[in-house]
Amino acid sequence: MKKALATILAASMVLSLAACGSKPAETTAAPAATTAAAAETTAAAAETTAAAAETPAATEAAAPAAADEGKVFNIYAWNEEFKGFFEKYYQVPEGVTVNWIIVPSAEGAYQDALDEALLNQENASDDEKVDMFLAEADYILKYTNSEVTQDVKALGVTDFSNAYDYTVQAASDANGVVKGVSFQCCPSALIYRRSIAEDVLGTSEPDEVQGLLDSWDKFNAVAADAKAKGYYMTASFAETYRPFSNNVTSPWVDKDNNLQFDDQINAWMDQTDEFVKNGYTLTSGIWDDETTAQMFKEGKTMCFFGPAWYFNFSMGNAQDPEKGCPGDWAICQGPAAHFWGGTWLLAASGSDNPTMLADVMNTFINDEDVCSKLVSEEAQFSNNKKVNEKFGSDESYGNDFLGGQNDTAVFVELAQHIKFENQTIYDQLLNEGLQNALQEYYRGSVDKDKAIENFYLYINEKYPTINTPQ
Amino acid sequence: MNKSLSYDSHKARIQLAVLRAVVYLILIFLTFLCLFSFYMLIINSTRSNGELQGGFALLPSTHFIENLKNAWTDSSINIPKGLLNSFIVAGITSVLTTYFSALTAYGIHAYDFRLKKAAFGFIMAIMVIPSQVSAVGFVQICYKFNLTNHYWPLILPGIAAPVVFFYMKQYMESVLPMSIVEAARVDGCNEFRIFNSIVLPMIRPAIAVQMIFSFVQSWNNYFLPSLLLTKAEMKTVPIMIAQLRSADYSKFDMGKVYMFILLAILPVLVVYVILSKNIIKGVTSGGVKG
Amino acid sequence: MKEKKRKGINYAKWGYIFIAPFFLAYFLFTFFPQALTIYNSFFENYREGLQQIGPKFVGLQNYVDLFTPDKNGTVLILKYALNTVIIWLAGAIPQVVVALLLALFFTSYRLNIKGQQFFKTVIYMPNLIMASAFSMLFFTLFSNVGPVNQIITAAGWSDKPIDFFAYTITVRSLIALMNFLMWFGNTTILLMAGIMGIDQTLFEAANIDGANSVQVFTKVTLPLLMPILVYTVITAMIGGLQMFDVPQVLTKGLGTPDRTSTTLIMYLNNYLGGSKNYGMAGAISVIIFIITGILSLIVFRSLNRTYQEKEKRTPKRRRHD
Repeated sequence: MKKALATILAASMVLSLAACGSKPAETTAAPAATTAAAAETTAAAAETTAAAAETPAATEAAAPAAADEGKVFNIYAWNEEFKGFFEKYYQVPEGVTVNWIIVPSAEGAYQDALDEALLNQENASDDEKVDMFLAEADYILKYTNSEVTQDVKALGVTDFSNAYDYTVQAASDANGVVKGVSFQCCPSALIYRRSIAEDVLGTSEPDEVQGLLDSWDKFNAVAADAKAKGYYMTASFAETYRPFSNNVTSPWVDKDNNLQFDDQINAWMDQTDEFVKNGYTLTSGIWDDETTAQMFKEGKTMCFFGPAWYFNFSMGNAQDPEKGCPGDWAICQGPAAHFWGGTWLLAASGSDNPTMLADVMNTFINDEDVCSKLVSEEAQFSNNKKVNEKFGSDESYGNDFLGGQNDTAVFVELAQHIKFENQTIYDQLLNEGLQNALQEYYRGSVDKDKAIENFYLYINEKYPTINTPQ
Repeated sequence: MNKSLSYDSHKARIQLAVLRAVVYLILIFLTFLCLFSFYMLIINSTRSNGELQGGFALLPSTHFIENLKNAWTDSSINIPKGLLNSFIVAGITSVLTTYFSALTAYGIHAYDFRLKKAAFGFIMAIMVIPSQVSAVGFVQICYKFNLTNHYWPLILPGIAAPVVFFYMKQYMESVLPMSIVEAARVDGCNEFRIFNSIVLPMIRPAIAVQMIFSFVQSWNNYFLPSLLLTKAEMKTVPIMIAQLRSADYSKFDMGKVYMFILLAILPVLVVYVILSKNIIKGVTSGGVKG
Repeated sequence: MKEKKRKGINYAKWGYIFIAPFFLAYFLFTFFPQALTIYNSFFENYREGLQQIGPKFVGLQNYVDLFTPDKNGTVLILKYALNTVIIWLAGAIPQVVVALLLALFFTSYRLNIKGQQFFKTVIYMPNLIMASAFSMLFFTLFSNVGPVNQIITAAGWSDKPIDFFAYTITVRSLIALMNFLMWFGNTTILLMAGIMGIDQTLFEAANIDGANSVQVFTKVTLPLLMPILVYTVITAMIGGLQMFDVPQVLTKGLGTPDRTSTTLIMYLNNYLGGSKNYGMAGAISVIIFIITGILSLIVFRSLNRTYQEKEKRTPKRRRHD
């Protein structure tokens, strides 16, 4: 059957080529064949694909001198954030042109385009091969657990002592082989309204608030106190999802591909059921107008969860000098360490610029000058512990939005406790799917059983191999 | 007799006046519905990102010029280039689509040949195949053969547009008398000349209508172009808008997004106003008597 | 009535020449992806992450899966087909009726509508905005803190905001309203072009014969407009059965509540997004293709029949020319 498919495709290829007069491709590999890693040899035909796949990265082990390497360095990304840092802080070797391929993430276009490029890597000419690409935590495993990425230690990225553990865990495959690095770290804190904390807890000092909110039991108990005083604990049913889901002790599927709910996920559901039932939170999503309206001065919500980028760029309502309440906020570590966001740089197999690839990665995690500039000039929390600690201990630094609090100090502490464990390639869609299905329950459209049933339905559509309870 | 006639015409005049009033009321109501979303768009384009996060507003704010400047000078996207690219793709696509659809429709409408019925049936059948899945297959083939970052994989398939063909065919059926074609043949015109210089002018309203529609469709097309055009200098408007929307947090600016959406509508509006004049012209100049 | 026309029988080769570019373009660009779609529907063929599963021939298994009732006894694809048809009809009936009325208003010499160019431009404008941007605006309008709810609570019609996205009826109505707004201008223009194409002498003749406007409409306009009306109804139906972007963006791809606004193509898209399940997506496409094909054929046949009957009763216009 594969042969028949290949024949059809080959026929369509001939026709398309005849029509377009483009230069013919060298191979007629069936689309089904997964791209082999490290296939520098463009002549690899369908038969040799499998053989090449068995020796991933072997040809790359001895990195050739940069002079023999490709002249075009291709980077895939979905926005220009890293491009800005790269152009400012990375010295591109002479004679190399950096080519940015930016595909927006809307409607999955970025991953679609990237996947096609990676799976066609061996057909591509050297100057068109993907050398490095960017990925987010939500779907990073799809790429690290695949042969389209390669071992960066073999390329010369060996020192991870200053990088945060979770960023290395996230970039590693199931066997612990590291396939890339992150140039930023995004620990996420509990962000609270000082005035409301004063009213509910009797204090607004970060250390004291942390003491009163350092476990979920305390958090849940305080929610009832807040309600009694006319406040909401959180402004969205999904607000606390990440703090729970980042700390799961088992993956979404077991060894036999059966779906399983981790205790943390169950705990989130129990908490949210209570919160919604008792009116401790709202039923809108975290980005909905209804939720963000709670950040205005007249908002009644005490807690949000988010990293530095969240309060710097996504709390516009709170930042507004007239309708907002800048200065009335503070952060503490909250009940559970977690992260939100961040971008990883992954090494594509078959890159013809391995030396530069390693150099870029080393620069953004180990070059202290560059990492310092990321913190001081770009408002980033870098992926270099030493650099961050230097800024965290700076007594003179304070964030006006947080009433003068040194947020970096909180993040330095928080970042060490973040985990990236028990993740699967299904996580992004399963986490989204569960929240979306349950939102209908919380909004009163369906009962809980039906919501869970719809969640299973969604899984069956997305991942036929996962067994859901019948 | 005389009296009742004037009474009738008086009554008719009142009826007409009432009818006219009702018609204007309906039109004004529909105008309101249609313009409301544009009003929101314009209002939103005058507001800053911070204000937009705060929800809806009925009155304009003061950031129009600022948003325009920010959008126009954005370092990651080149709006004038994007508009030009979109104009090239949509312009050529709409011309090819309408011309070849009219040609095909005329071929089937005006001639008798053995495969005529089969050809018509075939085109009607492929018209109802959902496009979503074949789009994905098309992308795979384009990647396989390194056909990305060219405009013609987006343009040339437009030559075979069953929906436009079907319209042309139906239109010819209702307005194109074969007697004119036969007269031209007697005058010794060849078939291509008959089509180009007699048939095309006669179906001008249909051409104008379908050119507008295919232009708009191509102009707003996101899915295929976003996967096939990855080079910055090749990108079209919808890709750029999506790119603005997936900007990172420090650069994300909805004010800029709304401004660009607004800017993207203006050229289409101009094309529409120009072409729609032809729909009316068709009546006055295209009313060929047999 | 096609047969009644005298046609140049000696010109057969021109027929082939004229339709050749269409078929050439079709076979080069569209045929293989389409054929692959149908071919794929008989295979297990999807991706898990970047890993390709299949293609493995499974016969009709994908179709069997689609038509197997779930534990509540619902055949999901039929549920989504019904959703699609309901939402489509709710938007398409007003769309065609209003468009026909407007087209008549605009082309009526008696009414002589002023500011035509303005109105014609305005009613087409919603079609110019990208569906995603349009849905985005509607989402803001009808959100719990949006202007519509502000008005509702300010006027005292309801003491708390109405959650428009939590009820089947409101979500479906919103989608139908948006589809109506986006397409009625388009349909009006199509029909207007059709009416404009009708030989004006026929209207004059009818007026001289003393026909009133209803008679002119039923005896002259409608029969001659029928081919275009058939086109309008069939393409509206094809577009309706392939309805996707508006409900997708408005309900964030979820078809809320409880998948009662999930359309057939949204269902198909569920299989494509993420796992690239060409097998199931292919099978759904084939089913949509069959449903649309049958419905189109019925509409085409029945409208054409009434049209031909009317034609018989109408004075032979071509001889009149």
